[in-house]
Amino acid sequence: MSTTSQKHRDFVAEPMGDKPVTALSGIGEVLGKKLEEQGFDKAFVVLGQFLLLRKDRELFTEWLKDTSGANARQAASCSQCLTEWCDAFL
Amino acid sequence: MAEFLEDPSVLTKEKLKSELLANDVPLPSGEHKKDVYVQLYLKNLTVQNKRKAPPADTFSSDEEITPVLSNRSRSGKKATKKTDKVRKEEVDVFSLTDEDLKVQLLKYGINPGPIVASTRKLYEKRLQKLLDQPPSETTPPEPETAVPETVTLKADGNQNGNTNSVEDQYSDKEEVAEPEPVPIASKPVRSRGKTPVTTRTSSRHRSKLVEETTQQADSVDGRDVLKDLFPNEPSTPTGIIATCRRPIHGAAGRPVRPMDLWPEESLFQQSVYTTTKSSFTDSRSAPPPVRPPARRSFSIWLKLLVFLTLVGSLFYIFQNVTPEQVNSCRVFVQDNVVNPLLSAMGVVDQEESAGSK
Repeated sequence: MSTTSQKHRDFVAEPMGDKPVTALSGIGEVLGKKLEEQGFDKAFVVLGQFLLLRKDRELFTEWLKDTSGANARQAASCSQCLTEWCDAFL
Repeated sequence: MAEFLEDPSVLTKEKLKSELLANDVPLPSGEHKKDVYVQLYLKNLTVQNKRKAPPADTFSSDEEITPVLSNRSRSGKKATKKTDKVRKEEVDVFSLTDEDLKVQLLKYGINPGPIVASTRKLYEKRLQKLLDQPPSETTPPEPETAVPETVTLKADGNQNGNTNSVEDQYSDKEEVAEPEPVPIASKPVRSRGKTPVTTRTSSRHRSKLVEETTQQADSVDGRDVLKDLFPNEPSTPTGIIATCRRPIHGAAGRPVRPMDLWPEESLFQQSVYTTTKSSFTDSRSAPPPVRPPARRSFSIWLKLLVFLTLVGSLFYIFQNVTPEQVNSCRVFVQDNVVNPLLSAMGVVDQEESAGSK
């Protein structure tokens, strides 16, 4: 297995349903709050943004950094998490 | 020597002012309508433009041609309104419409998603970055798409001793060829967005012609080789082919299929399951078995042990229950089970059983 966290594995294991945005890998309380302020209160909304960017990991990483103030590691983690989720369920 | 526009109204007011200042044209004090600056521009600068072009008497023929052609080559084309307009629009990324922004990005080989409120800023930034790169390399971005015009440009360029056009021609082909093999081999959009930029920068840094010919050759060969490797792949307009990845069981926390792991043990497992409690084993297999296989075999041994114990105890019972023990057991059972039943019927039976005892 690659260096994925438990949170990552938990998220990618099943359809996200109505999970909150803090369920995403790399998104903790602080970032979650910032995203919620922007209107991204659920994980599927962030997924929506990811899909709008045509699942481009770079663009999404950039967007996440701009929107929530995430650092490169967190954004990359979230990006990878969503990519894998899409590979599995989309 | 700067070239001046025929139609300066395509520039923004700020741009006009800066152009005027750069050419020592006195600006009227305070803020004026754009038209004022346009007029000033036309009066002072476009006139200069005309002044530079015609003189044939004083300059020799070579010199006459050179300034005109150098103007053309620098602007990238014959100085038509449209191309100048396009060129200036590229510089001002933020004033582009969504549609134009998309068109510009497509020129760089990026296939953008819908340009919506939330995505616009990102694409603007990206385009800005791409625009900032080429001007430092003194090559306008248009030659990418305008292949026939680069041919005419080449002639001009050679006269000037300008090898940029040659590079562009090669980089044209690189751009066309490279994005196709790369996505087919690996992931699509991301790498595709990267390759045009990286090939351009890499070609700049290496020695020009030799590297580019090899690159071009490689890309062309690469395309053919890949076509041979994947003859069944359908050709898509963008060259991107994406296949849905089947979920890998055992990765990312997905439950492992027992069949995949232990083919010879699975049969053995089933025999164990039938004899021992099946519900117990089901509950064990349901949660994602992240545990390594060593523990799995350990649990199997454990179940086997339990099974053997049960069998052994049954065997012992059957062997050791000799006749006298059977009788005593029978009496014991009779006393406890039969008597209560019979006591309800009458006192006679009780007396009988007491006597026989």
